[in-house]
Amino acid sequence: MLASRLAAPAAAGSFRPLLAYLRLEVRRALRNRRYLVMTVVFPLVIYVLYTAVLPADGGDGTTIDGLTWPVGFLISMAAYGAIGAAMSQAVPVAMERRTGWTRQLRVTPLPGWAYVTAKAITAILLTVPSVALVVTVGSLINHLGIGVGDALSIVVALALGAAPFAAIGLLIGYLLDAESAQGGMVLTLFTMAILGGLFVPLEAAPPVMATIGSMLPSSHLANLGRAAAAGTAPAALDVAVLVAWTVAAGALATWAYRRDERAGG
Amino acid sequence: MVTEHAALPFPSHVPAVELDGVSRRFGATLALDECSLSIGRGETIALLGPNGAGKSTAIGLMLGILEPTAGAVRTLGHGARTAVLSGRVGAMLQGGGLPIGARVGELVDLARALSPSPTPRDLVLERSGLTSLAGRRADTLSGGETQRVRFAMAIAGDPDLLFLDEPTVAMDVESRRAFWDDIRRSAAEGRTVLFATHYLDEADQVADRIIVLAHGRVVADGSPAALRASVAERSVRFTLAATDEPEAGIGALPGVVGVTRHGDDITLVTRDADATVRALVASGARFRNLEVAAADLDTAFLALTSDRPTATAA
Repeated sequence: MLASRLAAPAAAGSFRPLLAYLRLEVRRALRNRRYLVMTVVFPLVIYVLYTAVLPADGGDGTTIDGLTWPVGFLISMAAYGAIGAAMSQAVPVAMERRTGWTRQLRVTPLPGWAYVTAKAITAILLTVPSVALVVTVGSLINHLGIGVGDALSIVVALALGAAPFAAIGLLIGYLLDAESAQGGMVLTLFTMAILGGLFVPLEAAPPVMATIGSMLPSSHLANLGRAAAAGTAPAALDVAVLVAWTVAAGALATWAYRRDERAGG
Repeated sequence: MVTEHAALPFPSHVPAVELDGVSRRFGATLALDECSLSIGRGETIALLGPNGAGKSTAIGLMLGILEPTAGAVRTLGHGARTAVLSGRVGAMLQGGGLPIGARVGELVDLARALSPSPTPRDLVLERSGLTSLAGRRADTLSGGETQRVRFAMAIAGDPDLLFLDEPTVAMDVESRRAFWDDIRRSAAEGRTVLFATHYLDEADQVADRIIVLAHGRVVADGSPAALRASVAERSVRFTLAATDEPEAGIGALPGVVGVTRHGDDITLVTRDADATVRALVASGARFRNLEVAAADLDTAFLALTSDRPTATAA
C-alpha cells in the first residue's frame, strides 16, 4: 500500500534503516509519561469506578458476550487503552512536521516508507504495555482470575486489532497542525469509545446509535478482545471490519504523507 | 524504482552537483530562476546571498527535498533523492528542532546506523563538541548545542558531499572558529563542501569558490579574489556640508548603483567614479572629505545583490 514513491525495500538488508529508526522511536515513546496516564491510568480509574458501584457479579447476572460483566467491561477499557496507545503518534508526527525533524530525516538515508512504518509499528507496540497493565491490574483488583494465557491472547488480539487506529493516528498527524492534532486525537478517541460502546454497551443504546456503533472499528476491537478472553476464535465479521478500516485509513494516511512530502515537509 | 544503493556507481569524474536551467516556484514567488551551475569534487563552495536570495531553495533541490519546477538537478551524478538515500551525502539544514525524548547519543547512533560507512561514534562526538553532552536529552539543548547535534548527524555517515545551510547562525565566536577549523579539515581530506551563508568573512576565509545568489539567480561565481577584482564598482564617500542639504538626486547621479547614509556621511557605490564625481561637482551640492576607493568584498557583495541590474562577474 505504501507503494511506488515510498519505494519498497529491495533486500532484507534494506530493513536496517527501519529497525534503526524503530529503536529510537520506541525508546522515545516509553519516556513519554503522558502516554501512561492516557492509556493505562485513565481506563483503570474508569474501570474501578464503574465496578465499585455495580456488584462484582453483575448483580442481575448481566453478561457481555458470555463474559461476566466485570470481565467484559475490563476488555472494553483495555480496548480503550489500546486505541489511545495506537493513536499516540498523531501529536508527535504533527510536531515533527512543524519543527522540521521530518525534513531533517529526509536528508538522511532513511527512506520515507521506513519513517511511516516505524511510526505505525511503534503505535502498535505501545498498545502492548497498555493492555497488559490494564488487564493485569483490573483482574487483580476485582479478583477476576484471568490467567496468563488468556491475558496474553487478549494482548495479542487487541494489539493487532488496533491497526486501524495506528493508521488513523498517522492520518491525524499528517492532516492537522501541531496545535490541533492533540484535540483531533482526543476527539476521535472519545467518539470511537462512546459510539463504539466501550463505556455503555451497544445493547443498551438506542437502535440508531447501535447501528452507528456497529460500523466503527472500536466496537469490533472490543469484540475481538472478548473472544480472546472467552477463549473462542475471532469472528470473521470483526476481523473483516477491522481490516477494511485499516486499508481505508492506511490509504488516506499514505495520501496525506505524500501531500506533506511534496510540500517539502 | 528500487535500487541497491551500495552498488550504484559514483565515478569521481562526475561533478558533485549540477544544476541545469533549474527554476523553482512557490505559488507566485519564483525562488530560483533558471540557475545553472556545476560543482566539482573536492571543492569548498560558499553559497552567498541575502535572505530570500534562493540559497535554501537551491540546497533543498540539491538534496531532493524539493522538486524543481523546471530544469534538471544531478547530485553525485544521480537524482538528488537517490544520492541522499545512498548515504554519501550529509546535510545540516537551517533551523529544525530535534525530536522530544531522544538523547544526543541516540541521534548520533541513528545517523551512524543509517549510513553504510559510519564515522566512529567517539570521533563524531568529539568533532561536533558533544562528547560531554551524549547522555543529554536533545530537547533540553541550547540553540548552539542543537546546531552541533545537527552537524554531528550530518557527518556521522562520513559523507563525500556535505551541505551546510547557514551552519553557524546560533553559535558563539569560539564554537564558530572550531566549527570552521573542522570543515577545513574535512575539505582537506577531499570532501566536497557546500555551505550557505550571509556572512562574507566566512565565505572569504573558508571557501575556495563563492557563488553569489540574488533574486534566485547566480549573479557571480568565482574565487574570493576574482570576485573582488571583477567588481568594477568603486565607492565615493563624502560628508554633506549642511544637514539640510537636499539628498534627492544623489542616487540618480551617473554610474551610481547604491547609496548609504549615516548622518551627513554619504557612501555611493558607483560603476563610473569619474562620471559620478564630475556630476556631483556640477550639481552644486556642498560637500567635503571626498574620497574615492576600490570596492571591498562587502561593497562588491552589495553591488552584486542590489535590486538594480548588475553585470555578472566572471
